[in-house]
Amino acid sequence: MKKIISTFFVLLILGCEPFVTQFPDSSDAVIYEAADKTAASYDGGNIKVVTWNIRFGIGRFPFFGDSCGDSVILDDSSIEKIMAAIADSLNAIDADIVLLQEVDVASKRTGYMDQVQYLLDNTNLNYGCYASMWKADYIPSDGIGRIDAGNAILSKYELADAERIKLSLRTDQKSHVKYFYLRRNIVKARIPELGIGGKDLYAVDIHATAFATDDTKQKHIDKYVETLASIHDGGDYFVTGGDLNSVPPGSVTDFCESDMCAGEDYHTEGAEEYHKEGSYFENFNGEPDLLLPLYNAYDAAIDSSDANLSSHFTHAPSTSDIKYDRKLDYLFTNGSWVSGASKTHQDAWELSDHMPVSAVFSLGGE
Amino acid sequence: MKQMIISLLLSSIIFAETRIWESHSAHLLPQKRWEVGLFQPFRYGYSENLEYSVYPLWFFVMPNLSIKKPHKPIGNFATALQYDLVYPTPLLNMIAKKGIMGIISPDFQMPPMVGLSATWLISKNMADMDITLNSGLDLGFAFEDLDSRTTIDLPLVYHRLGVYYNTWGVHAGADIQKNISEKICLLADVDLRLLPGLKGSYSVEHKFLLSWHKSETFRILTGYKFVMGDYPYGSDMRILPYLPLAESWVPIVELQWAGKKK
Repeated sequence: MKKIISTFFVLLILGCEPFVTQFPDSSDAVIYEAADKTAASYDGGNIKVVTWNIRFGIGRFPFFGDSCGDSVILDDSSIEKIMAAIADSLNAIDADIVLLQEVDVASKRTGYMDQVQYLLDNTNLNYGCYASMWKADYIPSDGIGRIDAGNAILSKYELADAERIKLSLRTDQKSHVKYFYLRRNIVKARIPELGIGGKDLYAVDIHATAFATDDTKQKHIDKYVETLASIHDGGDYFVTGGDLNSVPPGSVTDFCESDMCAGEDYHTEGAEEYHKEGSYFENFNGEPDLLLPLYNAYDAAIDSSDANLSSHFTHAPSTSDIKYDRKLDYLFTNGSWVSGASKTHQDAWELSDHMPVSAVFSLGGE
Repeated sequence: MKQMIISLLLSSIIFAETRIWESHSAHLLPQKRWEVGLFQPFRYGYSENLEYSVYPLWFFVMPNLSIKKPHKPIGNFATALQYDLVYPTPLLNMIAKKGIMGIISPDFQMPPMVGLSATWLISKNMADMDITLNSGLDLGFAFEDLDSRTTIDLPLVYHRLGVYYNTWGVHAGADIQKNISEKICLLADVDLRLLPGLKGSYSVEHKFLLSWHKSETFRILTGYKFVMGDYPYGSDMRILPYLPLAESWVPIVELQWAGKKK
C-alpha cells in the first residue's frame, strides 16, 4: 500500500503542471543562445537598436484576433517563408540589440516553431532572453490550442540578469476569459559587454495592452516608467522600446471607422460596443497623453514633433487596405540617440502588422 | 479452411466464460446483462458468445460500436477478440468553430473518417488477481484530405485521433483486478499506444481505481488516470481529471449501473 501511495504522489507532482501559466511579479526570463555564434566583440562603436512586433511570423495573414479575418492557423511553409524574411530584414538592419514582441516559441498556431531560436540561428544575433505573455496547455477557443507567445530581447552580446516583470491583468473581462487571456510583461536584461564608464547598459522590452477598455494601459505604462526610472536613478543606461499600443501625443485617437470590419457597427447609439477595442485611444482620462512622461524624461528615437508624420507610422490592421496609419512602436533611452540615424522601416510592412523602428545609441553619453 | 472456421466458431461457443464488472477482460457479460457508467459505454451481453457496447451519449455525434467475441482458451487463459468501429467526423466538425469551445480552428472542415480497431484479449486468474493482457491494431481512414493542423494536441485525445493522420497504429496493455474484500476491489491498468512515423508517436496511460460494489447492479469507482506521451510540441505528462480553472487534480468519480433484460 505504501508503494501505491508513494507512486500516486510522484505522479501527482509530475502531472500537475498548471494548465495556464501564471507569473509572479518578477521572475527569470528564459535564456537562449544561437547554435552557432557569429563573432561579435564590442569595438567601441555606436549600438544599433531595433524594436519590432513580428506578429508571430504570420505577416498579413487575416488572423481572427486582431484584424477582420477569421483564420487561426497559417500553414508551416508560409510561416517559414515569413520568418526567413524577418531574419533577412534583421540582418539587413544589422542591429546589435533587437526588442521583439509577439514571438511564438511553442504554439499550435505557428507549428510549434521556436521563433526565438530560429532568429538566433538565422541572424547575426547570438544571445536571447524570452518572457511569455501567453502560455497555456490549451486555449479552448477558436482552435488556438496550445500556446506560448511573448517578448524577447536578442543581442549580439551576452545578456545577464534577464528578468520578466509582470504587468497588470485587464479588469474588464469575465473571470473565465481572464484566466485564459494574455499576461503581459516587460522583459529586461543587462548587457555586460556594453557597460559605459562603470555604468551598466540595460535593454528593456515591453508590449502593453492593446484591447483593454479600462485603465489597464495606464497601469502598464506606469510600471514601464517605474522600471526605467529605477535603472536611471541607479545611475545606469537603458535602451528601451516596444509596442506600447498607444498613439503619440497629438495623434488621431479614434480609428474605429477605418478599422471597422464588414458587419460591424460603431459610433451608433445601441451598438454592442460604441468604440472598437484596440482602435480607440481615449478609453480613460489622459490616454491621449499617456506617453508624455516618456517623451519628457527621455530621448525618443522619433521626436514627438515627427511621431505623427506618416513616414513614422508603424501599424495598420493586417486586413486594412492601408499599409500603415498610426504609430504604436517606440524607442527611448536615457542616453542619447545619434541624430538623424533613427528610421521606421516601412518597407517591411508585409512581414507583420507592425513595422520595425531602429535607432543608434550614442556611446558618447548623455 | 471451412472446417477451421467452423471449429473456431464452435470453440468460441463452447469455451465462452462470462463475468460481471469486467469490461476490459477477455470475459463477456452474461447473456442479457447490461452495464453502463457515467464515463463507460453501455455494454450488453447479447449471447454467451457476443457482447456489444456503445457510448450512448456520444452515439449521435460520434457513431460508435464495439463487439467482443470469445475465442478458444490458450492453456488456462481465456481469450477474446474485440472489434471497434467509430465515425468521429460529426463531433469534430461540431468543435471546429469560432469562439468558446472552438477546439479545432474554424478554418477547417473535417472530412469523413472511419476508425477500426481489433484487440486480442487474454485473461487469467493468478495469485488471487484477475490479469488481462491485450494488444491490437488500429486503422484510420480519412476519405478526403485531412490537414495536419487539425490535430487536437491534448492528452488522451491526440493519440486516439492520431490514427487518422497516421492511417495506422498499434496498442497493447495490461489490466489487473484484485478483490481486497467482498465488496471492494482494486483495478490498475497500463496502456501503450504507438503511432509509428507520426510526430508525437506514443502515449502511455495508467489508471488506478478503487471500486466499491454495492450490489450486482451498482458500483462506485474512484481513482486517477496518468497520461504521458510524445506530442507535436514535445513530451508531456498529466494526471487526470484536472480542473484548469482550479489548477488542481480531482479524483475520478465513476458511477456504474447494471441490470438484466428479462
